[in-house]
Amino acid sequence: RGIRVGYTPDVLTDATAELSVALLLSACRRLPEAAEQVRSGGWTTWKPLWMCGHGLSNSTVGIIGLGRIGQAVARRLKPFGVKKFLYTGSGPKPETAAEFGAEFVPLTKLAEESDFVVVTCALTPATQGMCNKDFFSRMKKTSVFVNTSRGAVVNQEDLYDALAQGQIAAAGLDVTTPEPLPTDHPLLSLKNCVILPHIGSATYATRNTMAVLAVNNLLAGLRGEPMPHELKL
Amino acid sequence: MWYHKPVVNKELLQSLPNLRIIASSGVGVDHLDLNLLSSYGVKVSNTPFVVSTDTADLGMALMLASSRRLVEGYEMAISPDTDYFPADWLGTEVSGATLGIVGMGTIGYKVAERAKAFEMKILYHNRSQRKKEEESAVGAVYCKKIDDLLQQSDFVLLAVNLTPQTHKLIGKRELELMKPTATLINISRGLVMDQDALVEALQKKIIKAAALDVTYPEPLPRDHPLLKLKNVIITPHIGSATKKTRRIMMEEMTESIQAGLAGLPVPHEVL
Repeated sequence: RGIRVGYTPDVLTDATAELSVALLLSACRRLPEAAEQVRSGGWTTWKPLWMCGHGLSNSTVGIIGLGRIGQAVARRLKPFGVKKFLYTGSGPKPETAAEFGAEFVPLTKLAEESDFVVVTCALTPATQGMCNKDFFSRMKKTSVFVNTSRGAVVNQEDLYDALAQGQIAAAGLDVTTPEPLPTDHPLLSLKNCVILPHIGSATYATRNTMAVLAVNNLLAGLRGEPMPHELKL
Repeated sequence: MWYHKPVVNKELLQSLPNLRIIASSGVGVDHLDLNLLSSYGVKVSNTPFVVSTDTADLGMALMLASSRRLVEGYEMAISPDTDYFPADWLGTEVSGATLGIVGMGTIGYKVAERAKAFEMKILYHNRSQRKKEEESAVGAVYCKKIDDLLQQSDFVLLAVNLTPQTHKLIGKRELELMKPTATLINISRGLVMDQDALVEALQKKIIKAAALDVTYPEPLPRDHPLLKLKNVIITPHIGSATKKTRRIMMEEMTESIQAGLAGLPVPHEVL
């Protein structure tokens, strides 16, 4: 029908990368769980192994989708003492990967060797349901899985099983299918699954910029002019 | 000893005439009367550097969680009362903001290293200025007067140790110097803050929010106002809480004890 589409890439890279790291830290250090213990009175005495999480020092981080957001995530994680970055995707990106010394590996190897897996890829027919039973079964028992891409990249039943059975240590999800999850969804009952309400780009500054960009796209479209960011169909 | 129990006082020391060494977990020794222990000929060791990385990580985690409203967001996402996620539910970015680090020791410096990757502007206040190379590695600017740091920072992070000089370092005056949009993060000791002044400042919106891994006492009494404030995140002193680090702490404490009992030089002795 000749309908043009404008979108707002790029301007939300920092906010989303930042939120991905925030979510990773909250999941691996059990922040919401610990905060709840403080409020509910569960924190009675202190014990050496109580509320222990997993540290980033000397860890291997696997990034699924080393696009703009994936790169911004890697940049932020680097000074946390990450020993090695792995990444996977449709193909290697040597110039981009060089900044982090990141190694391009198949998805299976990324699952096997990563202490932290961060999903920042686009949702496409190739990535739909990509994080499934096979993927989670290869991950380490001490590993943490973070998804800030799209809910549909993850097979949620398989993720639930992996978490409930201790195949992976914890997960952080900014995105699910659907959003919000139904009130009786099993993922909501897991203490080691931190779920956020799709707030990757949810900051005043970024949403303002996105709104202005969206309006500029719209005005350009209505005037028959080139848009600042047009999706090529 | 793990954490700060048992309380080490004259009665305890008198009842333990053969006590040669106390190996204390973590880096802080503010819970120990070092003069008293010295007078009884008891050595003290701590576990200084091993806790630094995890504690710096937690400092970052608290700053990010507060700024992006993570705990609130989590509660919304899992709540049975949530029908949809509102589009105007927003937080504030950490990236590009100004971080003021009070206490640029090992932990403070590690926080600076992490914050730099978020393109934060870093100010710091310390007893002494760090070397030029250390400052430029993280882009940190020295504030000889704490007031300068307080007035310019979007996030103020406390990473000092607790001493008579840092007791209630941040009180009513300091809180009022901070921006009303600023967030206070404490990963040092509860007593570095005037806690009552903090409660008042948060209630009156003199500062925007606080994220605390440490309070006084720990845990807080069940009816404490800090537990009820919406703009506060409190974690139960988990700065060094990873299995790996706790294990290394235990190993170091054991080494110190063995050396102490054998009359050998004690690793990580606190003098």
